[in-house]
This record gives sequence, structure tokens and C-alpha cells, in this order.
Amino acid sequence: MISAIARKEFLDVWRDGRFRIAAAVVVVLLGVALLLAWQQVQRARAERAAAAALERENWLNQGEKNSHSAGHYGVYVFKPLAPLAVFDRGLEPFVGSTVFLEAHRQNQAAFLPAQDATAMRRFGELTAATGLQLLAPLLVVLLTFGALAGERERGTLRQVLSLGVRPRDLVLGKAIGLGVALAVLLVPVALFGAVALANLPEGDAGGSWLRFAWLGGAYALYLAAILAVCLAVSAVASTARTALATLLVCWAANAVLAPRLASDFAQRVLPTPKLAEFETAMHKAVQEGLDGHSPRQQQLQEFAQQTLKKHGKTRIEELPFNFNGLVMLESERLAGEVFDHHFAKLWDRLEAQDRIVTWTGLVAPLLGLRAASMALAGTDFTQHRHFSVAAEQHRRDFVRVLNEEMMNNTAGGHHGGVAGRSLWEKLPAFRYDPPPPAHALRAAAPGLMVLFLWAAGAWTALLLVAPRLKPN
Amino acid sequence: MTSHLFRLELRLLARERAAWVLLGLFALALAYGISNGSRLAQRQSEVATAIAQDSEQFQTQLRNHLAQQSVDPKAIAGRGTAAVLPPAPLPLLAAGQSDLSPGHETVVLWKLAAPADTRSELENPSHLLAGRFDLAFVLVWLYPLFLLALVYDLMAGDREAGTLRLALAQGIAPWRWMARRALARALPMLTLAAFATLAAGFFGGSDGTGTRLALALAVVLAYGLFWVSLALAVNAVARSAASAATALGAAWVLLVLVAPTLLNVTVETLYPTPSRPELVAAGRKASGEAEKRGGELLNTFYRDHPELAPPGQQADFAAQHLTVQSEVGRAIEPVRQKFDAQLARQQTAVGRWRFLSPAIAAHEALTDLAGTGYWRHRAFREQVGGLRQAVSDFFTPRIHKRESITMADFDKLPRFEFREEPAGVWMGRVVTSLTGMLALAGALGAWAWRNLRPARLGLLST
Repeated sequence: MISAIARKEFLDVWRDGRFRIAAAVVVVLLGVALLLAWQQVQRARAERAAAAALERENWLNQGEKNSHSAGHYGVYVFKPLAPLAVFDRGLEPFVGSTVFLEAHRQNQAAFLPAQDATAMRRFGELTAATGLQLLAPLLVVLLTFGALAGERERGTLRQVLSLGVRPRDLVLGKAIGLGVALAVLLVPVALFGAVALANLPEGDAGGSWLRFAWLGGAYALYLAAILAVCLAVSAVASTARTALATLLVCWAANAVLAPRLASDFAQRVLPTPKLAEFETAMHKAVQEGLDGHSPRQQQLQEFAQQTLKKHGKTRIEELPFNFNGLVMLESERLAGEVFDHHFAKLWDRLEAQDRIVTWTGLVAPLLGLRAASMALAGTDFTQHRHFSVAAEQHRRDFVRVLNEEMMNNTAGGHHGGVAGRSLWEKLPAFRYDPPPPAHALRAAAPGLMVLFLWAAGAWTALLLVAPRLKPN
Repeated sequence: MTSHLFRLELRLLARERAAWVLLGLFALALAYGISNGSRLAQRQSEVATAIAQDSEQFQTQLRNHLAQQSVDPKAIAGRGTAAVLPPAPLPLLAAGQSDLSPGHETVVLWKLAAPADTRSELENPSHLLAGRFDLAFVLVWLYPLFLLALVYDLMAGDREAGTLRLALAQGIAPWRWMARRALARALPMLTLAAFATLAAGFFGGSDGTGTRLALALAVVLAYGLFWVSLALAVNAVARSAASAATALGAAWVLLVLVAPTLLNVTVETLYPTPSRPELVAAGRKASGEAEKRGGELLNTFYRDHPELAPPGQQADFAAQHLTVQSEVGRAIEPVRQKFDAQLARQQTAVGRWRFLSPAIAAHEALTDLAGTGYWRHRAFREQVGGLRQAVSDFFTPRIHKRESITMADFDKLPRFEFREEPAGVWMGRVVTSLTGMLALAGALGAWAWRNLRPARLGLLST
């Protein structure tokens, strides 16, 4: 019975001219978005790789200089784009692409691609992800609003029910038929996405395929939840027009209002600190210690005493190495603790804001989906943080090698001799390994949870509503 | 007769409960948009004030110091000169690019050739992605939805119900009847939007923004008029209220959601954004090469500018750094210019194609009027470029010659004063947007009128 209903519903939809036009528009937009994004991601990745190679050359060919000067000359590293940015660009335009690594300082990633874009960027971006997040639900609304309410209006619902069809079978059959119609549209788009991914150089980095599969699951949950909500509304509404109006209002609230409202709300609850405050606090902690009571100078003096005691000497000049190098190492270590503390606090705050937005997804499922989608695509904030931490780790290694050189290979008492290419080559080029899929799954978990709850809740609601289907 | 119909329609509207709910929600959204905009504006003005105060304090200290003794230019140069973009003239109208494009920058002599950090505030990137719930959001995105909810059914419903013949029997041209109806139903929303625009000027505008406010009002009304004309055009042909609503909803999705993103992606494909990482790496290459030839460069420099050579001809570290830096600047200037030109080409293309959707035109016009748009921020970036030059021109010769700064130099110290874009320029852009929107509205209106001619009356009512 159910399969007969499903078949009928599927054919009905397929023969509807309006649906065919809307579906064609959506599918074409998704295809165009994928194609252009594939091209852009490929170009951006090539550009960043070229810049990284050039910067490596710059570093190696910087000529002979004092090793600490080389620390100030520093290195620029560039964030590689995740392959799945083809599907969901996420925060990529709004986080820095470039980090300057230098002695004494931890810098934030600079140069947001969006700053170099036109103001149109603020209208949102056309990606396969936004197409599925915003336009596909509209398609579902168009598919379903009349499915039950329309039949009720026309009086055919009464006839069908009088044939002895169980209301639940009717509703389930319709859900399956409509779901299949939707799948027939979207599965080819997903396959197209897979082809794009397969044709991207290093497209499989960071477990892309596993991520891709989970993305498919997340979007399926989202659309399934929306399908169930729409059918439930159609089952309850007295006329198709009421169902359509209700669903469109819900769509606008979910797609247009919710992202901005939730984001603003998160900012109000947990405000972002001002840059000047953040930097002043960090600078102060570097000077006075994290607890505010251990001035840097005092700490370094104590450190000098301890070092002398350890080596059984009374004067710094008697030490078997350049003490200045060791001081540099120690002050980098102390500063590192401060940076770790303050950046972790800032990033925790931003992640907490994002979590608020994700859990607001319990009201508007788009928010849950967006968080999960960005996390799985590797374009969310946790992934950016992972990159920032890796870049900082590289900075510390690089400054440590330079300071050790000063400590061990230069005469004591001053900032020491000149180093050359052989030292520059000792510092490996920065290589960023994207986090494994497990990291992405952990980051996506709240969003996936929200989607799961929505899907479960919506289908339960539909099954509860179905037996009480009123013929008029 | 006609004013009577107008009043009748208003009375009918007043009796719809849904209309009151919609008006209430719209008013709420407008108020929230204004309050949100004012929070952002306040935060930004606090930051700007803190920087200005800091800079002023330094100036006072320096003046007091100079009154007693002269100062080594290197000591001042390291502190940098702050450039601050003054608060926007109508910040509550639109947040625009103000949360993304830097609103202040400190220019330091020693770092003139280094890639400038583009970040001037901490922002959650997700917040930037989502966008702000500011007045421009309410006006560009939600206002058409609320308007359409009231005017989607101007004639189609009557045609469906068969009451159209009766209505047209009143002896009024269908076109006039429908236009009266549309205006009466749209009037409350238009009024609310206009009031909110005025309120944005009243609560957060700086002095002398009357013209901006008047133009903003015109933009808001023209944008509203466009959507009303669209409703007229759709109703002239739609068979039922539901199909009119569907068509208008689809138009909203296409014009507000799809067209701008499509334009963005097209422009970025046609004029690809140049690579910022490549610019950074190219600059570094130039600086590495210049640094290696540092001594040689300085000697050439002193040969070309003997007047700048220090008394003992002995170059110091600072002088060498400055020579290297200006060489780097020269080397990367063409790359930087190409970069900037490409960005300007992108935005010009957006300007040209903004009539693809009135939502784009309205948004561009509102951010322009607010003073938070692309072009004002671009002007700021360019003028900071001028400040870099001024800083270099002031300090470089003095450092080469090892001249001290005295009280006589105090007034010549480089300072930043933002020059607003000439009124004619932004007004030109806004008036073009406005004309474009009115032309689109006019075209739709004319089309509706053609379909509602008395000659086609017979077709109309069936």
C-alpha cells in the first residue's frame, strides 16, 4: 500500500511543471556553485603553495646574518585551503590566510580574503552548501505544502480515506514518494561534488572522503527533518494556502533571521574582547608574569642565579656557552606560557560563542547544520585554531633553533656571530597537516546532535499527527 | 471617488488582524536593527576615541618635551602615527564593511614596507559570516517580505473569487483601482520604514547629514516602490492569489538571496581576486634582496643625495634600514598597484551590475549613505597610503642627516586627517542607484498598466 502511494506521489510531483522549473533552477545553481568553487579553490591552493615555496626561497637565501636578526626577519606561513572548501567555504573568507612568525611575538593570522573582496560578499556566498541549506528547503516546501492540505481542500482526502487506506500509510507513502523525488534531484549533485573532489590535487587530504560521507549524512538528516515538518504542517493545516504561508514564515525564520539573531545573541551573552584590551593584557602578562607578581626581570635574574649554581660558576662569563642565548630561550618559554594562556582564553571564548549559536539550532535547524557542515568540511573555527596552533608550534621550534645556535655556537657575552645558509636549512619548511576526520567529527558533534534531534522529533511528530488525519 | 477608494482600502486593512501583527513585527525588527547598529557604532567609536586620546596625549608630552630640549627623530618615529577613520556620518543605517575593513592603523616608519596587518579589531569570524542584524538588513531583506505579505493580493484574489467584475463595475479604470489599492496597503509599511530611517539619523547621525538622510529616505521609498510595482505587475496577470504569492516569493528569493551571490561569484570569476599571499611573498623577496645589498644601496643613495649624507659619512643602522625599505617599496609598488587596480575593477563591475537586483542597488546606496560602504573604506586605505609617504618624507631626511627634532618641527610632524569623499562622488553613485530603482519600478508599473488597459478588460475579469 505504502509503495503504491509513494509511486503515485512521486509521479505527481514529477509531472508538476512548477516543481520542475524550481528544481531545475536549484540543481543548476548547485552545479554552477560547485564548478566555480572547484576552480576558485584550486586556484587559491595553487597560489598559497606558490607563495609558500617563494617564502621558503626567501628564507634560505636571506644571506649571512646574525641568528637573532633572522628571528626578526621571520617567516610567513600560509594556510592551505581544505579540499572540501569546494563544497562549503565556511569561515574561510573571514579568517586570516597568512601568519607572520617572528621572535618574541605570537601574531594572529592576517589578511582575511573577504577584506579583499567586494561588498557583495556580505550577501552570503553561493556555494553548494548554502544552496542546500537555503534553497533546498524551499524546494521541499514547494513539494509538500499541498500534499495533504491540498487533498483535503479538494475533497480527495475524504475519498482516499474512505477506501480504507490507513492514514499513517498515506502519510508515510507520501513522505517516501516526496523524499525519493528529492533524492533523485540531489544525489546526482552529490555525485558531481564527488567527481569535483576526486579531481582536486590532494583532494583526499585529511580524510576527505570520510568527511564527505558524513556531510552527506548531515544534509540528509536536515532535509529529512524539514520534509517531516512540512508534511506535518500540511497534515494539520486546513487549506494548502495556510500550509504554504506557515511554511514560508518558518523557512524565512530559519534561513534569514536565525543566523543573524543567534550570532548577535551569542555576542551579547559572551562579548568578544576588544583588540586593544586583549593586547594590553597579554603585553602586561609578558612583563609581569601571568600572576601579575613575577616581573620578567626578576624571573630572569633568578634564572641566572640558578644556572650559575647548576654549573658551579660565579660569573656568567665563565659559563661554557653564550648565556644570552639561554636567556633568549628562557624568555621565549616564559612568553610562550603567556601567549598560550591568552590565546586559549580568546579562542575558547569564540568557540563558546559558536557553541551557543549551534545549540540555538534546536530552534532553527539551519544553525546546527551550518556548524556541522563547516566542521566536516574543515572550514570552521576549530580547524582554523588547529592551524594557528600548528603555526605557533612552528614558530617556537624555529626560534628555539636560532636561540640554541646563539647559545652554543657564538662567543659569550654578546649577541653573537653570523650564521648562514647551513643554519637556515636546519629549519624545516612549514608543513601543515590538516586534522584527522576524528577532529572534525568531534567539532561537528553538537551540530550533528541538533540535526539528529530535529529529525527524530520531526518524524515522531509526523507519526503522531498522521493517525489523526482529518478528512476536512 | 478615488480618495474614497483609498480610504476604504485603508479601513479594510485596519480590520485585518494579520496586518497589525505584521506591522508590529516589522516595527520590532526595525527597532532591534537600530539598537544593534547603535551597539556596534558605540563600540567602534570607543575604540576610535581611545586611539585619538592616546595620540593626543603623546602630542602633549612631546610638545612639553620639545619645549625643553630637542629629540632624536628615531625616538619619535618608533611610536608611529595613528590614522583613524572618523565615525561614519549615519552609522545606525548600515554596519556595512565597518566590522570587516580596518577603521584604524598605526603607521610606523620602520615598518613602511612590511605587509600591513589588515586586522584592526577582534571579531568572531562566524559573526562576520552571518552578518549583522542592522537596519540595512531589515530594510533590504525583510522590508520587501513584509510589504509583499500585505500587497501580494491586489487583484488576483478578486479574479479567483469572481468579485473582480463587481469591483470593476465601480467605474474606475482597473489600473487606477489597483494602484490606489496597492498604495493604501503599502502605506503603513512604507511609513514605518521611513520613520526608522529618520530615527537612525536622529539617534546616531552626526551634524550636517541632512542630505544623506534625505537621500536614504528616497532610497528606502524607491526600494519599497519597486516591490509594490512588482506586486502590481504580477497581479495584472496572476490567475489566483496563491500563484501571485508564489511568484512574488520566488522573485524575492531570486532578487535578494540568489542574484547578489551570483553576481559575487561571477565577478570573482571574471576578475579573480589577486593573491594576497603572493603579494606578501613577493614583498619579502624584494626586501631580502634589498637587505643583502643594503650597504651598497646606501652608498648609491648618498652618491645621489649628497645633501642627505650624515656629517661623518658613516652610515648607521637606521639609515641603512630606511634605504633598504625605500628600495623594497619601489620594487613592490607595481605589484601592489596591480593588486589594488584589480580590486577596484571588481567593485566597479559590481557597481555596473548592481541593477541586476534592486536589493544590491539599495544595499550599496544605504551603506554609501551610512558612510560604512566599500568606497569610504577604500578612501581611508588610500589616504593611509598618503600618510605612509608623509611619514617617510618627514623622518627619512632628518634621520640621514642626524638632525634633531625641535619645537619648530612640531607642527610639521605628519598627522592624519581623513578627507571625506567629495559629496559629488558618493551622491553620484547613490543617485544612479536611486534612478535605477525608480526606472525598474517604472518599467514594471508600465507593464502592469499595459496589461490593465480598458481594452483588455474582458480578458481581465475571466
